[in-house]
Amino acid sequence: MTPQDMDGILAQAANRTAPQSDNSAAIARAKASLPRSFGSVRPMRAAWAFVSLFVAAFAAVALCGAWALGVRGLPVLSLVQRAVIFSVVLAGACIAAVASVREMRPAGGTRSGPIALTIGILAPLVAFACLFQDYNFQNFVPEGVKCLLAGLACAVPAALLIALILRRGFILDYRAAGITAGTLAGLSGLGMLELHCPILNAPHIMFWHVAVVWVSGSGGWLAGWIAQKAKST
Amino acid sequence: MAAYQQGDRVAAEVLIERVSPQLHRFFMAQVVSRRYADDLLQETWLRIHEARHSYRPGEPVLPWIYAIARHTRVDSYRKVRRTEIREQQVDILPDPAQGTGSSPPGPDLEALLGTLPESQREVIVMLKVSEMTLEQVARATSSSVGSVKQKAHRAYQKLRQVLLEMGFGTAAARMD
Repeated sequence: MTPQDMDGILAQAANRTAPQSDNSAAIARAKASLPRSFGSVRPMRAAWAFVSLFVAAFAAVALCGAWALGVRGLPVLSLVQRAVIFSVVLAGACIAAVASVREMRPAGGTRSGPIALTIGILAPLVAFACLFQDYNFQNFVPEGVKCLLAGLACAVPAALLIALILRRGFILDYRAAGITAGTLAGLSGLGMLELHCPILNAPHIMFWHVAVVWVSGSGGWLAGWIAQKAKST
Repeated sequence: MAAYQQGDRVAAEVLIERVSPQLHRFFMAQVVSRRYADDLLQETWLRIHEARHSYRPGEPVLPWIYAIARHTRVDSYRKVRRTEIREQQVDILPDPAQGTGSSPPGPDLEALLGTLPESQREVIVMLKVSEMTLEQVARATSSSVGSVKQKAHRAYQKLRQVLLEMGFGTAAARMD
């Protein structure tokens, strides 16, 4: 059986299944459900404008957080370390911002939230593995928990700011939007930690700093799941 | 759609009249009852009204509408959980030898699509019932054209098998 034969059978079946005439009542009902009068709305701005807004929110929260806690990490990094780390974090933020914008509009583009989260975790991990060789596990947990909490304290306001921007669009899948927003907020927390934390231990940076992105992305998914649940009940 | 965004109720009604038959067929090909399809159509238009600011003038409107429609259907499906009715539909395949009245003999679309997984069924309905292009389906489902092609290909493989089992196209198959 050729695809053309199957096209014919499907077209025939579709015509038989869907009578054209008797959906007028449903159409009348759909028309009646519109409000009697409604105002004009301004179409959403272009995608690049929202991407810029998301990246600006990411950078602003990271810089404010580092300023509030003290910029003690930046001076201990070499020029190469600074260039690589901040380029990777910024690139991750741009990818997460593009993924967030896609979630703001129906038919906005290929869904890429999980990809953004994976890149947001793996890219800094690889960069840190290449840049830091000191594998010292002294005070691994106490110092690490402090950094994780500081990173998350920065990610929460970033997430709130990102959620405010997301509300400018129309979200269809809250869980996917939650992942992208959480990843972007987590990268903001990671950026802040790189400016603030003077510890150059590879295990500390690779586990606790990157955990901020992981926890924040998962938290975003959970928040989205709760929002989706609340919406559908 | 641009006039609708500017508060023109007549434009909104024209849009509803033009697109609703197609949307209704989209729902009818995938859901169990006409009343349910009617409810989904109304719910979709309410959401479209709510989301109208997110449409960008100049972009194709059908993928935007179908993206909202498919999420309305999925949300509603999750809410209602009518899986048992769906299962019943899959089980009862009509006898291809029986023609209904004056219509030519052929399989029932719902029964055919009932054999497909959800994601493949959706793609086939958009391509064959709503007559959308591959690019439009990709946009509406937030996936790539390659992924849509793959789903359509797999669906066709499955449908070919089902049709052959039902006795359709056996002559063509023998010639292959």
